[in-house]
Amino acid sequence: MPPEDKKNYWSPYIAGVGIGLTLLAAFFFAGRGLGASSAFARGAAAVANSTNPRYAAGLAYFSDYLREGSPFRDWIVFEVAGLFLGALTSALFTRSFSLRFDRGKGAGRFARFLGAFTGGLLIGFSSRLARGCTSGVGLSGAGQLALSGWIFLLSLFVSGLLTAFIARRGLWG
Amino acid sequence: MGLTSNLAAAVDPMLLVAGVTGFFFGVFLDRGGLGNPHKLTGVFYFTDFTVPKVMFTAILTAACGLYLLSGLDLMSLDSLWIVPTYFWPQITGGVLFGTGFVLSGYCPGTSVAGLASGRLDALVAMAGIASGSFLFALSYPFIGNFYDSSSMGTVTLPDLTGLDPWAVIGILGLVALAMFFVMEQVERRG
Repeated sequence: MPPEDKKNYWSPYIAGVGIGLTLLAAFFFAGRGLGASSAFARGAAAVANSTNPRYAAGLAYFSDYLREGSPFRDWIVFEVAGLFLGALTSALFTRSFSLRFDRGKGAGRFARFLGAFTGGLLIGFSSRLARGCTSGVGLSGAGQLALSGWIFLLSLFVSGLLTAFIARRGLWG
Repeated sequence: MGLTSNLAAAVDPMLLVAGVTGFFFGVFLDRGGLGNPHKLTGVFYFTDFTVPKVMFTAILTAACGLYLLSGLDLMSLDSLWIVPTYFWPQITGGVLFGTGFVLSGYCPGTSVAGLASGRLDALVAMAGIASGSFLFALSYPFIGNFYDSSSMGTVTLPDLTGLDPWAVIGILGLVALAMFFVMEQVERRG
């Protein structure tokens, strides 16, 4: 990683308390936790709907997303837009913003492109199956002490370890 | 009409809460180094334990706050949307997600933070995540039964164990402290 990044970051415990208090604020003021992945599903449903409305309306899973109207009026889309602005502000203020195609030492550009996309495919699919991602089920669920969050995080961790072990060279290791 | 409905959306207090909590979430993700795929995947190689340190600290902070506020009757857990448990779908989801996490170097929220720090590989991951959601919608007619299987409702660890929430938080806190201690040792040696 670039050396300026290392110096720049806050203690993970401080960042963790910050995220925990933000999550608590969402619980308190909105009655729900923080999420991310369903914004992507909303986006995919909106794209499908604008390219071929009849086809999109036939997809039973997306019909719920489309019935609620425009994705821009949705909670999660506003939250993720805020996330982007917050991270951008932070990166600009700390002068850590730089355009790059980040990848592991052993990965070429094409391998990185393929890994990022196929990994994303798996994440998009599995987030729908699990009813959320590391934020919506993992962080928010575990913070409520809900069983869902803990079983999701545990199986994620074991599977990640196995994947990293099998593919130790060529990705990040 | 368009303008007035946009204005109505802009002053909707819930959407304001969404934007503001999202903003702080983004700031803390970026400052914690969670927009950086090297740090995000480090735990799986035992080289960088940023992710579990941030996650466990955040989870315990939120859990303490939540049960404190409800204990003081400042908020009711009944009014909170608890993430429901679908046992096997969520285990399977976690397994697929873990592989995707290591392959892409991000998860959905952190890919947005990664892009915000200028990482264009995060944009590729984001395109993958949106496409994966579409793939799920395509497969839904075939896996809908599994998707709805092993439903356990809004079960929590205190419900499941019969323990007081504070006992559960105490146990998790001790586990976290032991984990943090080991992680600091491993990072110092590495």
